[in-house]
Amino acid sequence: MTKELSRNERIKEASDYLRGTLAEGLRDEITGSIVEDDAQLVKFHGMYLQDDRDLRGERSSKKMEKAFAFMLRVRISGGVLTPAQWLTLDEIARHYGNGTMRITTRQTVQLHGVIKSNLKATLRAMDAALLSTIAACGDVNRNVMCNPNPHQSTAHRAAYDLAVAISNHLTPRTAAYREIWLDGERIAGGEDEAIEPIYGKTYLPRKFKIAVAVPPSNDVDVFANDLGYVAILDRKGAVRGWNVTVGGGMGMTHGEPETYPRTADLMGFCKTEHAVAIAEAVVTVQRDWGDRSDRKHARLKYTIEDRGLAAFRAEVERRAGVTLDEPQAFTFTSTGDRYGWTDRDSGHSHLTLFIENGRVHDPAGEKTMMTGLRKIARQHDGDIRLTANQNLIVANVAQKNRAAVEKLVAAHGLLEPASGLRRNAMACVALPTCGLALAESERYLPDLITALDQRLAAHDLAADDIVIRMTGCPNGCARPYIAEIGLVGKGPGRYNLYLGAAFDGSRLSKLYAEDLQHDEIIARLDPLFGAYARERIGGERFGDFVIRAGYVAATSNGRDFHANTGPQRA
Amino acid sequence: MASHLSQIPKTAPFAEDEIEILNRVVGPANPIQRAWLAGFLAGIDAQSPAAKPAPVARPAEPLTIVYASESGNSERLAADMAKIARKRGLRPTVVDMADLDVATLPATRRLVVIAATWGEGEPPARAAAPYAALMGDGAPRLDGVEFALLALGDTAYVEFCAIGKAIDARLEALGAKRVTERADLDLDFAEPAARWIEGAVTALAPAAEQAAGPTVGQVIAVDFGAAPEPNLGPVEAEVIAHVDLNSSRSAKETIHLELAFDGKAPAYNPGDSLDLYPHNDPAYVEQLLRAAGLASDGALRDEFTKNRDVTTLSLKTVENYATATGHHYVKSLIASGEARGWIAGRQLIDLVEHFPIALSGEQLRALTRPLAPRAYSIASSRREVGDEAHLLVSAVRYDSQGRSRTGVASGFVAERLRKGDRVRVKLRPNKHFGLPASDRNIIMVGPGTGVAPFRSFVQERRATGASGKSWLFFGDRNYTHDFLYQLEWQDALKDGALTRMDVAFSRDTPEKVYVQNRLWDRRRELVEWLDDGAYLYVCGDAKQMAKDVRGTLVKAYADVKALAPEVAEQAVGALERGRRYLQDVY
Repeated sequence: MTKELSRNERIKEASDYLRGTLAEGLRDEITGSIVEDDAQLVKFHGMYLQDDRDLRGERSSKKMEKAFAFMLRVRISGGVLTPAQWLTLDEIARHYGNGTMRITTRQTVQLHGVIKSNLKATLRAMDAALLSTIAACGDVNRNVMCNPNPHQSTAHRAAYDLAVAISNHLTPRTAAYREIWLDGERIAGGEDEAIEPIYGKTYLPRKFKIAVAVPPSNDVDVFANDLGYVAILDRKGAVRGWNVTVGGGMGMTHGEPETYPRTADLMGFCKTEHAVAIAEAVVTVQRDWGDRSDRKHARLKYTIEDRGLAAFRAEVERRAGVTLDEPQAFTFTSTGDRYGWTDRDSGHSHLTLFIENGRVHDPAGEKTMMTGLRKIARQHDGDIRLTANQNLIVANVAQKNRAAVEKLVAAHGLLEPASGLRRNAMACVALPTCGLALAESERYLPDLITALDQRLAAHDLAADDIVIRMTGCPNGCARPYIAEIGLVGKGPGRYNLYLGAAFDGSRLSKLYAEDLQHDEIIARLDPLFGAYARERIGGERFGDFVIRAGYVAATSNGRDFHANTGPQRA
Repeated sequence: MASHLSQIPKTAPFAEDEIEILNRVVGPANPIQRAWLAGFLAGIDAQSPAAKPAPVARPAEPLTIVYASESGNSERLAADMAKIARKRGLRPTVVDMADLDVATLPATRRLVVIAATWGEGEPPARAAAPYAALMGDGAPRLDGVEFALLALGDTAYVEFCAIGKAIDARLEALGAKRVTERADLDLDFAEPAARWIEGAVTALAPAAEQAAGPTVGQVIAVDFGAAPEPNLGPVEAEVIAHVDLNSSRSAKETIHLELAFDGKAPAYNPGDSLDLYPHNDPAYVEQLLRAAGLASDGALRDEFTKNRDVTTLSLKTVENYATATGHHYVKSLIASGEARGWIAGRQLIDLVEHFPIALSGEQLRALTRPLAPRAYSIASSRREVGDEAHLLVSAVRYDSQGRSRTGVASGFVAERLRKGDRVRVKLRPNKHFGLPASDRNIIMVGPGTGVAPFRSFVQERRATGASGKSWLFFGDRNYTHDFLYQLEWQDALKDGALTRMDVAFSRDTPEKVYVQNRLWDRRRELVEWLDDGAYLYVCGDAKQMAKDVRGTLVKAYADVKALAPEVAEQAVGALERGRRYLQDVY
């Protein structure tokens, strides 16, 4: 007996390739909202309908509807932008958005607060700068991540080229985007295979994420992705081929143990010339095998769990016409970014700047980060790269320009922070814009870190790298379940604390304590910091220590995530 | 045929508009009505001594009374004057300046102009075109015309009574002969206006008539078409809702005020206003009293808070201050001609603080006018809200001359009036801004608080099930934070009380967009609606918006119909004269 399709499947089916009634909805000026079905479809165009949750309480008494506005997420393969594109986004943010930009955990930029009447102008401005938001959200392949230092080696160049090739190959072909947002010609009819040869009219069962990593850095958190590629290098540092990983994903739901985060499995090894074909095969198998009746069970990770890796791999090989080799050995050392200058043989340098939680703004009377980055972009002739840790790299700076960049960095407070915890922190946007948030995240984590830093300093740990990540809900945008300290919103001011993930992103964490408030988070962590300072062995990482010392059970993988939770010793 | 036969001939001893009125009544009257009228008039004649032919009986002398009115004050005075003139043997014709054809002026032998000045020395909006014609090169000579001019204004404005003064000078320059001195009256005009009218009628009435007593003119002093006057006295109301409609993120504060009455609400119609009697800010009054060296006296504070205009600073105030105090610096300020510039952006408290001198309560009282009420367009329809009246009040706040200022009435409403409080209000009818027949289409242009009467219109049309279409243009700063009554407009569009709506928010885009830009975008449909007989209403800012809207409309006609600019101008002028382009601007 086949189960009933989820509501979103019917919406996609009826949407005429993502058109729905979006065009009509845009013409209705009296509401800032769009109808419910279109709100699902607009995600495929890279936007979320949101409302300012800080204002919800007052709106109806003021005879106004919710403070609706759209979040726009750009598609930036591998996170590489020209300075002109950065300046375009900066201008759009100030003219049409809420004056701020977010560098996301997937190497792209999000703009918030764009009202409906400004959507078309915004997307036209992006289009003029060769930027697009197509498929940045929705049940399709999203922005493809890639280690953002391609100029450091031929391997990084190969990784970037692969990321762009996969992204282009998997971008939806529907003309709806151009038609609706850019006033393009209506292109009528055609066979499904001609319109969307890879996706078909109902696209994928759920979102789909791809990352390309170059060891020893796992900055893209390759194991958190549905599909991953890990570069395998020869002795000269050139790419021999790629380990392919499948079935990673973060999202879960509180209180529903059949939902869980999962780190990806190593499926095999492929040559570069087969990598795109493998990607298409993985996508189409998931398209056909994925669960379209239950969206909480629709990600590839559940398909792999349900069907088994062997069966999945066999089907992928059959469709791609490629036989995968066994995975090759590689080593990851961390998921973080290297801050400061890195040099390259050609005489150019790259400067990685710390952007706290990816939030690019000019807070009143404080730092002038957004202005500083704008000034840098205006004089910069290299490119700008976004990292998967919400940071920004001013890349390919000629030696003669270094001093000028350094001056702007200093003048606008863009220097890296001293705290090891803050350097390794990520937070999702959450309140007030995200409709899913149960608790604060981006607005709260900086203050929590300030408090935790005091405790770490007391234990002489202030400069140690410890990965901490926070999200406002369990869907996991900031990948909290592979952070050494993960905090996941449960309700206003309350968080679940997860511990024991690997520093290199290869092992999930475990629930340690539930429903903690600010003081309790500190009270629970402080003794662990103390024990870590006293008892760690050599360069032992905090995430490894809490397991070895018996504070928390290790999580082997997804199905094991909800077992043996809580403190394991008093 | 019958109606044609019963037309009153143009040669009848009536003014043109009287003939028109008579035609309206007599024309369609059935035989019974005509017979009754004949009997009625015969009865009057029989009782009146004037019915018997007097030795020097002749038709009453005509008198043309032109009024240029914005708030209705000039219009009411014109009507009062007409009554008195009629009793004194004149045959008055009252003409709204908005309808005045300047070319007809030479034919008037006696002319009275009652002109209000609006804002910074402007004519009332409706009268702008005829005013320009009168002041322009094409104005006819008025040799042989006798005239008198009554000017209304507000000393709070520098250009006090500017329009009255200008017309007065212009009539003289065109050759007309002034028979009595012009009076320039401030907000408390009632008594001096009555005195002036008395004097002017005396000066204008022909000497022979005065000697010969009443003429036949008196016999027909029947006020056709006069509706029963609604209660225009102040009444108390209770504030039952007080909501700032702007978001907490907005720089603006616009208060939606719901008033309930003990018993019946004043009998207002859509388009009418309420005069609201504010109190001054007690802190401001306290400061003023201290600056004047007056001890904190409860009675005095109460009086100045409730009854005196303690903010307005006019040249006259400065002069009075100089006279009352003999203050040397103030005298030299006046003598040097600097006073005019000095008062700009300043209030009474600045004068008293800047040139301190101990004043008595009596002196301070003499420096101030009575505190006048402020008019706000009613934002509700009695058919929908029953015995309530809703107002929309935008808090006026600004900085000038180193001090933050707050509008007297809007500050009173926004900062001190609260739910459960009582407030005095008075109905101010506006018959020039009413709804047309229910099957006529209406276009409403109301940015900001200008949208208030249109909420009333839409409520009224919903309640009456009007079949005419309605189209609203609204604008403000930010869509998200300043969309006044957004949920109500959404409901009205759903239930059909509103047919369509266009919005313009000036601060949402790099280039500012205003309602007139939206009118231009929609010019084709706009002209179509107007060609179909739609009525166009404009409410809100007079300084910029109303002018820009009118300019846009002229351009729209020129563009859509491929007309020369002056022809398009005439088309819009025709709308105004036809009372289909109506404004309530401030």
